[in-house]
Amino acid sequence: MKFIKIVILLLIVSSCKNASKKEINSIPETEKLNLKYAEGFSVAYYENFKVLNITKPWPQAEKSYRYVLISKENMAKTTFARNEYDAIIVNPAETIVVTSTTHIPALELLNVEDALIGFPGVDYISSENTRLLIDEKKIRELGKNEGINTEVLLDINPDVVVGFGVDGVNKTFEVIKKAGIPIIYNGDWVESSALAKAEWIKFFGVLFSKEKEADSIFNHIESNYVTAKAMAKNAADRPSVLSGAMEKDVWYLPNGSSAEAQFLKDANVNYLWNESTGNGSLALSFETVLVKAKDAELWLSPSYYSSLDQLEKANSLYTNFEAFKNKNIYTFANKTGATGGVLYYELGTARPDLVLKDLIKIAHPELLDGYETYFFEKLE
Amino acid sequence: MKTKHTYPFIFLTVLLLLCFVANISLGSINIPFYEVFESLIGTAKNETWEIIITKVRLPKAITAIMVGSGLGISGLLMQTLFRNPLAGPFVLGISSGSSLGVALVILGSGLFGGVFATALISKWSIVIAASLGSFFVLLAVLAVSSKVRDTMAILIIGLMFGSITAAVVSVLSYFSSAEQLQQYIFWGFGSLSNLSWEELLIFFGIYAVGLLLSVVSIKGLNSLLLGDNYAKSLGLNLKQSRFVIILATSLIAGTITAFAGPIAFIGLAIPHLTRQIFKTSNHKILLPAVFLFGAIVMLICDSIAQVPTSDYTLPINAITALVGAPVVIWLLVRQRKMMF
Repeated sequence: MKFIKIVILLLIVSSCKNASKKEINSIPETEKLNLKYAEGFSVAYYENFKVLNITKPWPQAEKSYRYVLISKENMAKTTFARNEYDAIIVNPAETIVVTSTTHIPALELLNVEDALIGFPGVDYISSENTRLLIDEKKIRELGKNEGINTEVLLDINPDVVVGFGVDGVNKTFEVIKKAGIPIIYNGDWVESSALAKAEWIKFFGVLFSKEKEADSIFNHIESNYVTAKAMAKNAADRPSVLSGAMEKDVWYLPNGSSAEAQFLKDANVNYLWNESTGNGSLALSFETVLVKAKDAELWLSPSYYSSLDQLEKANSLYTNFEAFKNKNIYTFANKTGATGGVLYYELGTARPDLVLKDLIKIAHPELLDGYETYFFEKLE
Repeated sequence: MKTKHTYPFIFLTVLLLLCFVANISLGSINIPFYEVFESLIGTAKNETWEIIITKVRLPKAITAIMVGSGLGISGLLMQTLFRNPLAGPFVLGISSGSSLGVALVILGSGLFGGVFATALISKWSIVIAASLGSFFVLLAVLAVSSKVRDTMAILIIGLMFGSITAAVVSVLSYFSSAEQLQQYIFWGFGSLSNLSWEELLIFFGIYAVGLLLSVVSIKGLNSLLLGDNYAKSLGLNLKQSRFVIILATSLIAGTITAFAGPIAFIGLAIPHLTRQIFKTSNHKILLPAVFLFGAIVMLICDSIAQVPTSDYTLPINAITALVGAPVVIWLLVRQRKMMF
């Protein structure tokens, strides 16, 4: 008798488990979103909904996130096992809050910037179109990313918040989630190549049901990039390149396996720390950098210094480099929006083709006759 | 007395010279010793090495000597003045004042905009702000010390000022950009390098005045050890003595904090270590001994921080605390009490 009871109990328990899974498994997956470079997300299509998987929301993430995207009409008809997903989101989204300026160009390229109703730190936004919306008070200031003003956010009640996490610990996001506003972690910045980062425009394409537009925009950017890269191969010489600047005693430069170094490789220049590998940037002593790069022909992105004079005032040791003596220093720090945001930080991720062309123009001006650099400027 | 302390002094002086030479010879880049020497006398063949020796390592070594000796001496002065083994140039709030000044310039630029924003990266604005900050705290401490006779109260007021500073800094931090925060945090790490020769000259000028004032107060310091009443009975003008000692400390510690950032532990640890070794409380002996000892320890700490032959450098503050704290703990455990 006891044995039968246990069997029945086991049957009930296992059938319960099956019942909740059945809903997903019983509906056949019709298609997957085509991704060429990006590895941090994937999208599966079902008959009347999509499932978005964020597999790498931050470096060393152990958890992946699953979201159901479904239209308002179908949402009423369908039931989901809510605990199987991190959120169920209206698709296409009508109102959105993003948290990084790198998300702004994607919205604009897809022509959905009107959907943006809030942003933490609106002063960092440089794009003229979006600034216009800010001036018209259509985009609310939400405070700071790590401490988003939850009251304002709940008040504007967006369909979805696109956040980013450095380690998955963000108390504000927890509060927002509890209040019923879905949060999706965007991991574009974790991708290791520039084209993979740019491909995250397809992520926004999915949110707004504009997959086709996103696809063609990305193809255009990709082909521009590939063409520019092929052209750079024809360059007659490969100038040696130094990068970064000192913060107190430490000189920070991109390591050879970073996305920045990839740009330099594709621009066919001789980045002097090309061989280095590792996470994050290199932190070297002045002596080390001087010995290796004293005669470097080009010096790119010397921190936030915006003139030769500033650079010299900050540390007279900088004047010992040939690139300083020959005034061959280029920075993206000077191209800013109306409220001081740096354009490169906002648009550079979405438009790697422009970044690469800028670098080619600087290193091999003969290859891009008539091209005006978009982000970089010579330090005066 | 002369015979008892002559040898330790000769030993320390020779050690200082050795540390100085070692400090200049060691770094990320391996430079042969004769090339170091040739760079110093200006006959080097390798231009890059000459830049490294004359513009990077030499100014840094001189800074280390001034910072180490200066902080040690201000620590000694404060410990004697407040008759408290925990006192140091930083307990008075001098470094808090400097920190606040620097925070206002670096972090406050977002709030004030315009003029401050353009001054953001100017080193001089940071130096001036740090000096003004410590000067205002000095004025406050002087005002308090003329009203409050209790030295313990002055110590507590110094600590309270530190709390206020921390609060203001956190409010400013909250409204600052990542770059500004980074700049402020790096200032807090302390740094002996990146001073040009003209900056060193100004640094030295103020430091020398402070040093002179502390030499002048030796007699006062010795009498203070015996207690206020005894000092008075010796005919010492207590108020004037206190004033000179506080002025000397803020000049030395203020200018060091301004140029090198808040360097931890040296001011507290060096006087104790010196007392343990020289077994005296006579400031005629202690003052020069602290000078030598502080300079030596700082040169050694800096050499460690440069992580010789590696491409990396460590923040000097981490090294001073890592070296300083265990030594003080060890001495205390061994002696069971602080010699004071």
